[in-house]
Amino acid sequence: MTAPAASEVAVGDSVAPLSRRVTQEQINAYADASGDHNPIHLDPDFARSVGLSGTIAHGLLEMGILAEAIASWAGGNANLLSLSCRFSKPLLPGDTIICTGTVISVDDSGVASLEVGATSDRGDRVLTNGRATVRLSR
Amino acid sequence: MPDQSHVGRRYTAPGQRIAPESALATARAIAGDGEVREPGAVPPTFAAVYCLGPTLAQLFSDSEVGIDLAGLIHGEQSFEWPEPVHPGDVIDATAEITSVDTRRGMTFVRLAMEATRPADNAVVCRATSLMIVRAPA
Repeated sequence: MTAPAASEVAVGDSVAPLSRRVTQEQINAYADASGDHNPIHLDPDFARSVGLSGTIAHGLLEMGILAEAIASWAGGNANLLSLSCRFSKPLLPGDTIICTGTVISVDDSGVASLEVGATSDRGDRVLTNGRATVRLSR
Repeated sequence: MPDQSHVGRRYTAPGQRIAPESALATARAIAGDGEVREPGAVPPTFAAVYCLGPTLAQLFSDSEVGIDLAGLIHGEQSFEWPEPVHPGDVIDATAEITSVDTRRGMTFVRLAMEATRPADNAVVCRATSLMIVRAPA
C-alpha cells in the first residue's frame, strides 16, 4: 500500500466513509483485547445504574475504527501520524458508526491535515472535534 | 476526588511487550465481522494497550487520587505516532497528570503520556487524555 501523492491531494478531498455496525459481541471482544473491562461496556444493569440507557462502546474502539478509515485512505497504518477527537455521545450496541474525513491543508513537507469525525446511524455525532495528520508520498 | 494537588503525579510502566497475538486480537475487535485490514501490523490505537492501559490502571488504583470508576467518562483523546510500533517491540510508558479542574460538579483530569522504545531510543507515541469524573450521586 502506498500513500496518495502530495501533488494529487487537494483541500476538500474526502476519505471514503467507513460504516460499521458495532455489536455487543464486538464490544466484548474489544474489552478482552484491550483489558478495559469497565462494566459500563459489558453489564447493562450496571450501565443503567449509572444513568446510561444500557451498555456503550469503548471510545477507543470507535477511535480504532476511525483510525482504520483514515489509515485506509493514507495507504496504511504507518502513514497515520496523529489522531485526536472528543467522545461526545455514546455509541450503543447495534448502532452503525460512520467515519468520515476531509482534507483541510497540505503542507510543504507532504503532510495532510484532515478534519475527521464519526456519527451514528441514529444521527448522534459520536466523535467530534477530530483531527488527523497523514504522511503523503512524494 | 482528584484535586490540583495531584498535578505532576507520574505513573511509569516499563517493559510493555507488544505481543503479536494481543495486537491481532485488538485489530480483530476493531474489524468486527470484517477482515483485518493489515493483519501483521499493530493498529495505531493499540497505544491504548501499551501506553494508556498500564499507566491509567495505576492512576485508577491510586487511593490518594481516589477516582471513582463508576462515575468515570473518557472525554477526549489524542495520539501522535512519531514512529511505528512493531510486534515484539518492548515499550516503556509514562503518564503524568497535567491539570485538574472542577466545574459544575464534574472533575476534569488531563494527562499526558509518552511511550518510548529503549532499543532505539525512539518515541513511538505521545498521547493526551481527558478523564471526566462525575460526583457521586
